[in-house]
Amino acid sequence: MNHWLAFWTVWLVIAAVSFAVITAIVMVKGYRDLRSMFSRLAEQRTHDRG
Amino acid sequence: MHFASIDWLIVVVYLIASVAVGLLGKKYIGSVSHYLVAGRELGTYAGIATLAATEIGTITFMYNAELGYRYGFAAFAAALISGLVMIVVGRTGLVIGRFRALRLMTVPEYFERKYSRGLRLLAGILVAVGGILNMGVFLKIEGEFLTIVSGIDSHYLVAVMTAILLLELVYTVVGGMMAVVITDFIQYVLLSVATILVSIYAVFHAGWDDIVAKVSSTMGSAGFDPIENPKFGVTFLVWQVLLWFAIHTCWQTTAMRVFSTRTPEISKRVMTWTGFIYLGRGMLPMLWGAAALTLFGLGAVDNGVPLPVVNGQTLAPIDAMPAMLASILGPGVKGIVVAGMLAATMSVNSSYLLGWSAVISQDVILPIREQMGKPALSSRSQILVNRLANLFVGLFLMFWGLYYTPPGAVYLYLNITGTIYLAGTFICVIGGLYWKRANTSGGYLAMLMGAAGAIIPFFFLHWSENVTGFCAFGLAALGLVLGSLMGKRAPTSLAAARP
Repeated sequence: MNHWLAFWTVWLVIAAVSFAVITAIVMVKGYRDLRSMFSRLAEQRTHDRG
Repeated sequence: MHFASIDWLIVVVYLIASVAVGLLGKKYIGSVSHYLVAGRELGTYAGIATLAATEIGTITFMYNAELGYRYGFAAFAAALISGLVMIVVGRTGLVIGRFRALRLMTVPEYFERKYSRGLRLLAGILVAVGGILNMGVFLKIEGEFLTIVSGIDSHYLVAVMTAILLLELVYTVVGGMMAVVITDFIQYVLLSVATILVSIYAVFHAGWDDIVAKVSSTMGSAGFDPIENPKFGVTFLVWQVLLWFAIHTCWQTTAMRVFSTRTPEISKRVMTWTGFIYLGRGMLPMLWGAAALTLFGLGAVDNGVPLPVVNGQTLAPIDAMPAMLASILGPGVKGIVVAGMLAATMSVNSSYLLGWSAVISQDVILPIREQMGKPALSSRSQILVNRLANLFVGLFLMFWGLYYTPPGAVYLYLNITGTIYLAGTFICVIGGLYWKRANTSGGYLAMLMGAAGAIIPFFFLHWSENVTGFCAFGLAALGLVLGSLMGKRAPTSLAAARP
């Protein structure tokens, strides 16, 4: 049982840390992604109407 | 009532902001590809946010917490498998790379490219029916979460469910995937903050050593060892591996994110990173469930675990986690967490509404029209059909959610209803992409035998979920191989991708 507990504790720590770190990264870079995506879509729309 | 004024303020502000921002997506809708797959312009990080938000809902937290409550640390195996399989799919590009390169909008669309329109129609029907039945339990369970944590009287459950659904429908029907991507980003941030906060509070209040001791005293080594646990075992683990490969490649809502990325390489990166999020998506709420067992597991023993008793009232295991949150979170924090859970709910439901309505419109209605010789619909008309299908799915959910309660653990019920079409779909997709001999006869047999392999053993023979799931995949594979070998040889090249 001890080795299973150790195994799950390690994976739990990996899970929690990666969840928090990826959230922080996505908050910043995801916002930039959305802005550039909508900028491209707006350009496409202008081009299609033109 | 457990909610303070600050909590209500946080929740109301979030709801208004979410819907308002979502409606901004409408102005970017030009063609049906904008409506369904965001014009295929999604970048890596926005892709991670929308994929994670789509597949993390209050239902996710509820059923994973229930698993943690009932099975302790042994349940972590399911979360570990879900995350590692997603990372493998992302790193290798298994199925998703080819799917994205084909510029699909739905999974059944692939069936017409490789097999036949008839098989696309069958797949579309099975995907839509299975997906909607699967989603049918979400609203009720999410409504239960909200009423328990906020303290709203349970008699208002229907009103709460209706309000949630209407808000989701507003921006999903109007803005499609454009609205969903924007709102998913906000919702992902909020639900992640809520997840981290709850994890800290749960471990702080229950105590790590006490959680371990409670699981140990309640379940013995079976609370840690998934092979020894009588509910899991080797068959469960094998089934979970197959199922998660099927989900991460062929589940329509996940696949729509893959279809929405700018390039196949981005879809692989999105899948890999989100795989790490999946570890926490499962393990963290399972930990909350184990914490709830530690704090409230004092009642009569039911299926090997003591039922939760909160304020003198005995609850079902699935309700232990929200009851714990109502008890341990203070004002302000409770509002943030509930707003985060609402965010999780709305992100899942909006994406699922869009996913299943896309299948109904693109893979059932449009192919039937073509078969009847009717002219092709304009982009504008296709968007209208999608919107109407969205509304239809929303209405069905309201009624199904009110009348049906799944037996046993919700996680296993969802897995089985998903397996009904996932077994056949996954086998057909793998065979279609990687085996030249796969043909339409094999495809039909795979879909029908996969569905029968899930329905008959579980609903009529009352076999366990593990064995049923295993059978469904096995029978689907057998069907594809036998049907393909006995049927006509398939053409050697796949139809060209549509522009």
